[in-house]
Amino acid sequence: MGRLGSSSATRSGWPRSLLALLVWGALLLYAVWPWLPGRGRRTRPRTIIVYGFSILGDALDHSVLPAFARHWRAETGERVEFVTSFAGSGTVTNQLIMGVPAHLALLSLELDAQRLATAGVIPPGSWKSLPFGGVVNRTPFILLVRPGNPKGIHDFADLGRPGVQVVHPDPLTSGGANWALLAEYGGAARHAAPGREREAGTAVLRGVWKHVVAQAASARAARTQFENGFGDALVTYEQDAVHGNEDEAKKKKSAPKWEIVYPPSTVLSEHTLVILDKNATPEERPAVHALAAFLWSDEAQKLFVANGFRSVREELNGANPAFGHIVDPFLVADFGGWTRVKKDVVDGIWKGEILPGLGK
Amino acid sequence: MAKTTKAPGAGSAALPVGLLLAVLVPLLLMPLAAVFVFAFRGGFKDFLSALTAEDAQFALRFSLLIAFLTAAVNAVLGTFAAYVLAKYRFPGKKPLTIAVNLPVAIPTVVVGTSLLLLWGPIGLLGKALAPLGFSPMFAPAGVLLAHLFVTFPYMLGAVKPLLDELEVTYEEAAYTLGAGKWQTFRYVILPALRGGLFSGTLLTFAHSLGEFGATVMVSGNLRLRTQTAPLFIFAQFEAGNVEKANAVAAVLAALSFAIFFFLLRWSGPTGGRGQGH
Repeated sequence: MGRLGSSSATRSGWPRSLLALLVWGALLLYAVWPWLPGRGRRTRPRTIIVYGFSILGDALDHSVLPAFARHWRAETGERVEFVTSFAGSGTVTNQLIMGVPAHLALLSLELDAQRLATAGVIPPGSWKSLPFGGVVNRTPFILLVRPGNPKGIHDFADLGRPGVQVVHPDPLTSGGANWALLAEYGGAARHAAPGREREAGTAVLRGVWKHVVAQAASARAARTQFENGFGDALVTYEQDAVHGNEDEAKKKKSAPKWEIVYPPSTVLSEHTLVILDKNATPEERPAVHALAAFLWSDEAQKLFVANGFRSVREELNGANPAFGHIVDPFLVADFGGWTRVKKDVVDGIWKGEILPGLGK
Repeated sequence: MAKTTKAPGAGSAALPVGLLLAVLVPLLLMPLAAVFVFAFRGGFKDFLSALTAEDAQFALRFSLLIAFLTAAVNAVLGTFAAYVLAKYRFPGKKPLTIAVNLPVAIPTVVVGTSLLLLWGPIGLLGKALAPLGFSPMFAPAGVLLAHLFVTFPYMLGAVKPLLDELEVTYEEAAYTLGAGKWQTFRYVILPALRGGLFSGTLLTFAHSLGEFGATVMVSGNLRLRTQTAPLFIFAQFEAGNVEKANAVAAVLAALSFAIFFFLLRWSGPTGGRGQGH
């Protein structure tokens, strides 16, 4: 920097410094404009802060939350606005533990709700007293492949074939990635000979993870990577694929950059709602609880289906023709619930046996 | 440019300049061009509608506001720190000099984490202050705190070398003429620092505008509340809205370029290789 930074600026004279002053002044004015007094700022409407895992963004921001705002206005005459933030489920959980002021959070994994309870953010098991045990909606785990399926991928086991490159969200930060691990393991374990379940599941998991070329922090980010041309296959939520296709069609862009492959046997992920009462004042709570209840209403469930999620009420799922058929769907409960799966499959097999072997 | 090619002859400059360009074009210029190409891929109308969306406007305004505040606060704090460190002798001066320059050496993500661990709801100070209703993390104040921390050394680095070289005789002359401490500072020292103040403030402003690592940790990334422009770009890109992300990225890049242009124009003649006069 200026070793002899004396007053060269004085040379510049008036016009130039005046111009600079004007430019900076205009920039400052632009920046503070919405906060200037006397601009008749309307009184702030009631605000509900919602955190959600990555793929929920569109469904909440553009359909379900606006629907609730209309509903609430009709009922109470009060305007309600939302502040939302979406990231991988694990990231959201960490933010909630660090104290972000969320009123409601929709997590992709019940394990994350348990982590919140352990950290004292919500009362233990509080989500279980909500309808459907706190599960708002579901979506099966599927495979996305390139158009025409050039690598002939039909099941998770096919990802282990030589030359296949897999894009996978990171199980450390993404709830979806944990579901993907269970889908890969469970699909094989359910159809193995009795007593050989663990072996069969581990073999498929190992095959998949040998071929992972990119790990994104969230399922949504993984799809962006896949869209940008990485890999031959992506393991992800059916919702993200179905909804993504609609997105592309709406924008009238070129044909979709992928095809959905339904594995014969896969898991239906279940997404858990938690209410953070400690972040809401007593005046705020009625609206927060009304929104929570609204998520299971006919209207909201139908909107979720329209956005590619499968409703917890089976009878509503016929409304979306994009949903494919799964021969043998299963739930985490079939493997003893998340606490067990986390211990046995995620920590025991994936972290304990498969990851250490990959570096070699 | 014209000056540098004179000495060894035009023929010999072609090769090194060509080589430099061959490296710089894919390394620096093409990535920047890609942002603009993608931003305008859907046509100017799409670019404008992406840019005028409420959350994009908020992110840009919020980033600018934080940058103005950061530059203003650190201009004063940094100059004061430079003055104290240059003009006074006291025990512990060396470690203090190192400490105030530390933010340059620490990864910004670490800065964010440490701020959270201090001011956050589970942090050392945060726990004590939360009952008093003061919790800066995940609020605009937290973003400002992070930016003040990260950009602190820029002002110092721009001003302190000037102060170090400013000969004491000018000050002494002022005192003998009966000027007070404040008058000396105002009429003797400050004018000599003008160039440094200017480039330091601009650097601080530019850095604050683009700050990501610390901000992402302390802001909570709340749309329309604490989401800065870089966070907006990252969030929209992650969500697959590449056009939306690029519209704001293009504006941010253009702004930074303009600031840098200012910086070169103003500090150019005296700064760096300034034997100009």
